Amino acid sequence: MLVIECPHCGPRNASEFRFGGEYNPRPAEPMQSGEEEWTRYLYLRKNRMGMQSEWWYHNAGCGTWFLAERHTRTSQIGRTYIWSPQARGDAGTDNE
Amino acid sequence: MRVPTMSDVIPQGMSHRLAARDGEVVDREAMLRFSFGGRLYTAFRGDTIAAALTAAGVSTFSRSFKYHRPRGLLCCSGHCPNCLVQIGDEPNVRACQRRVEEGMTVSPQNAWPSLERDALSLSGLLARFMPVGFYYKTFMRPRRLWPLFEAFLRRAAGLGRVDERSPHGAFDKQYLHADVAVVGGGPAGLQAARRAAAAGARVLLCDENQEVGGHLRFGGDPTPLAGARALLEEAGDIQVYTDTAVTGWYRDHWLAAVRGNRLFKIRAGAVVFATGAYERPLVFDNNDLPGVMLAGGVARLLQLYGVVPGKRAVVATANDDGWQVAEALVAAGVELAAVVDERGVESGTAATGLDHVPQYHGHVVAAAVGSGRVRSVEIVPLAGDRVDPGQRQTLPCDLLVTSGGWTAAADLAYMAGGKSRHDEATGETRLDDLPDGIFLAGRVNGRYSADVEAEDGRLAGAAAAAHAGYGEGPSSTAASQVETRAQQQPRRTSDCPPASGKSAKRFVCYCEDVTEVDVTTAIAEGFDSVELLKRYSTISMGPCQGKMCAANALGLCARTQGQTVAETGRTTSRPPVTPLTLGALAGQVMEPVQVTPLHQWHLDRGAAMMVAGLWLRPEHYGDPTAEVLAVRQRVGLIDVSTLGKIKLTGPGVPALLDRLYVNGWRKLGIGRVRYGVMCNDEGVILDDGVCARVREEEWYMSTTSSGAGSVHQWMEWWIQSGWGEGVQLSDVTDQHAAFNLTGPRARDVLQKLTERDLANDKLPYMRTRTATVAGAPSRLLRIGFTGELSFEIHTPASYGLQVWEALMEAGGEFGLVPFGVEAQRVLRLEKAHIIVGQDTDAMSDPLSADMDWAVKLDKADFLGQRELLRIHEKGRRQRLVGFTREGGDVVPEEGLQIVERREERFEAVGWVTSCRFSPVLQKVIGLCWLPDEVAGRQGETIRIHRNGRLVEAQIHHGPFYDPDGSRLKT
Repeated sequence: MLVIECPHCGPRNASEFRFGGEYNPRPAEPMQSGEEEWTRYLYLRKNRMGMQSEWWYHNAGCGTWFLAERHTRTSQIGRTYIWSPQARGDAGTDNE
Repeated sequence: MRVPTMSDVIPQGMSHRLAARDGEVVDREAMLRFSFGGRLYTAFRGDTIAAALTAAGVSTFSRSFKYHRPRGLLCCSGHCPNCLVQIGDEPNVRACQRRVEEGMTVSPQNAWPSLERDALSLSGLLARFMPVGFYYKTFMRPRRLWPLFEAFLRRAAGLGRVDERSPHGAFDKQYLHADVAVVGGGPAGLQAARRAAAAGARVLLCDENQEVGGHLRFGGDPTPLAGARALLEEAGDIQVYTDTAVTGWYRDHWLAAVRGNRLFKIRAGAVVFATGAYERPLVFDNNDLPGVMLAGGVARLLQLYGVVPGKRAVVATANDDGWQVAEALVAAGVELAAVVDERGVESGTAATGLDHVPQYHGHVVAAAVGSGRVRSVEIVPLAGDRVDPGQRQTLPCDLLVTSGGWTAAADLAYMAGGKSRHDEATGETRLDDLPDGIFLAGRVNGRYSADVEAEDGRLAGAAAAAHAGYGEGPSSTAASQVETRAQQQPRRTSDCPPASGKSAKRFVCYCEDVTEVDVTTAIAEGFDSVELLKRYSTISMGPCQGKMCAANALGLCARTQGQTVAETGRTTSRPPVTPLTLGALAGQVMEPVQVTPLHQWHLDRGAAMMVAGLWLRPEHYGDPTAEVLAVRQRVGLIDVSTLGKIKLTGPGVPALLDRLYVNGWRKLGIGRVRYGVMCNDEGVILDDGVCARVREEEWYMSTTSSGAGSVHQWMEWWIQSGWGEGVQLSDVTDQHAAFNLTGPRARDVLQKLTERDLANDKLPYMRTRTATVAGAPSRLLRIGFTGELSFEIHTPASYGLQVWEALMEAGGEFGLVPFGVEAQRVLRLEKAHIIVGQDTDAMSDPLSADMDWAVKLDKADFLGQRELLRIHEKGRRQRLVGFTREGGDVVPEEGLQIVERREERFEAVGWVTSCRFSPVLQKVIGLCWLPDEVAGRQGETIRIHRNGRLVEAQIHHGPFYDPDGSRLKT
């Protein structure tokens, strides 16, 4: 079973966590957002093979939502960190 | 020389038992009795079922899966399917692994009426109807005969018998932790464990056998075994788990292992797989006859139990391991008819004591002959890489011991990501690309002599410990020295020369009765890749999971297609490596349930309880219709403690609520309550409930019972990703009991228990106040799901029963009754109030759900705003509306389709989400989704498709009962 490092509690079994999907920031002003950007936010996911930033929730633990950088093929986990305006998800969010 | 004692006397009924020998694991002083197939047998304590039956001369253990051919012991190592038996109600027990217990009742499987006279053993007849891929070919037509075919196949196929009345056994699970986990306690594994422990690592050693030692246990020489076991005594922190089969490797070195009824979940820092090797069966005519055994199995029976499965043996070998077993058999006094070695004359010369034994070099076995068990073997000389069928010789014997070479038992290493590399020179498989923290040692790593295996174990142990943070790890020179020594090992694997002539009885896969002809036929039919071949022929899909058949099947597949084994590839290894019971996976039956503080009271009143998510709730207390009428006419009380309850504090709460709910919250005054719908950005309804502002900076939110957890997580997500400024949130669902007191006399009941003035102008509709109710600090919310005058009373859970009982007592004079979920469903439906998740689904938005009044589109940014605006502008496609039907003869069930005639045919245009007979209105009422243009036609007839007939109903807008809501506000 995958081990995930909760930024608050440390390494724990994956069964303690809930997956929250790939990092998909909401447009700051939805009403001003273009159709394409808005559609992408609502319905399109990158589903990339490689490292991506994604949300995890420590369901059976501290209740923290955090970002993890995980390789979607190997499940190898890189950095895990708590979101802040300065530390948003970046892996896999580039426009490829 | 030992002096014979009483224990050396072989009891009657143990015709194949030898005198006591060093290293045996049985206690000859302790005699046990058990039965097999209705007959009584004796065993020594420590005997496996297989050893005890073999000692008594039993040679047939089971009937094969498809053709019901008799099968006897083959590997005696827990790998093959041949000795699966049933013990009481436990099916598919490996008789070679399970030790006899006094009074045990053992039955053969897949045999009827008995093992000796199995009615379905007319294999020639069956084989015609079960060619390779018969699942896809025969029994398909005519379809009307399928019930007959099925009845026949069900009797013919299958292994053990599941007794559905068996109680769930005492299974459990345990977590184990180690710096280094070593799987396999043979010479390599023991050294790996010792070395890792010496480096300071916490070591866990698992071995599926009853004792550690691996092949040293039955190698015939007790000295290295004693030395290896002593290692564990002198070493540091090593936990040893014997009888423990590791069944899978999972991410981050997480191992699943089973011992008896316990599943271990092992988390390790590094793993050493010292899992040894599987012995390969030889493929020849009738190679499945009882009496044909793998050399390792014979050695186990001989050395561990003092049992020899025959009186006159032939050894067929491709390596020196076979000669060692030949030596041991002769030393034990068994008559050895011949040694047949497919290699040249110089092979096997190191063996001693075999001077008088006929030796056939350059020969292979062509066939085993016998009915029910081996009576003789036919051998043929090799001419180059072909056999010479003209020179058959017959050797009478009742035991054929085969030593065809070894296959790395690398299933776990493959699961971990290791890639196989076939070594054409040795015929063996090596592994490359092992992931970080995985180390191989011993035979699984291609080391085949005890001293090289031990050295390999030391290297792997040091490397694993270093990976886990202990010690330096081995030097690269030490590693290359071991590799060099391994390269000098002689070839051990049989070349499996193609047999002559066509025969349907050369078995490649014992589990599924797949023969050589089946494999070549499947390839000829186009199933030429190994993964397709596996699925089509079912080869390697039986209980042995490829341990016996995979190597031979791959070799055959490669040879048939003129490829190398490397080009042929291999099928994917998946857990479990070893068969395990579903009980072990299930563990203890622990289904969590949540109960409210009133649970016992409900039970005492005979409530019919229903499961609602994790909760148990009263569905009714006997008569839900009477409960509905009591609420409408007098007063009722329902336990709504299951509602989600969330406390929010801080100056940022109004802004947050304004973003999460689709209506406005900034102006809600203290002491006021508002209904709110939460949507996501697609505009889809997630949940609904009320939220009260109880102080300037404190809010009290309720969610649906089923939505409590997900709403809490949803809110936390937005709070923790930027919308949380000035907000604290806590889930207080379990802290508060909650009741809804509802009905025209609700105020009269509650006023008896509180000083708080409940008059309509003091506590109006959609307001909240604190109050002391029956001595308990409480919060009152005047809201109403039922459509009657209602007070929701929230009180600390510990006061719940006290307040509830006080209310019941106070309500006696007004005719108060408790009511359950069913009555509440009817009451809310009469008001056309939706239940999120029943009347809505993952496509439902609040505008289409006819709740425009709960949406404020023109406020600042909120979740769902953009999509709801789009729906508002473009128009909804569907609409949730009510329908009625006079009389109560038919109540169309939830989920039924609503159809419309369009041209020549009926089309589904909508569906029913809720429907009940209303005892107040005396007609059927319901909610349904319809196309917007249809839904707008108030009073028009719709047709509901029910059991092949059309049921008519009339579209109804708005609440069915008290449409202007005057009863709520009195």
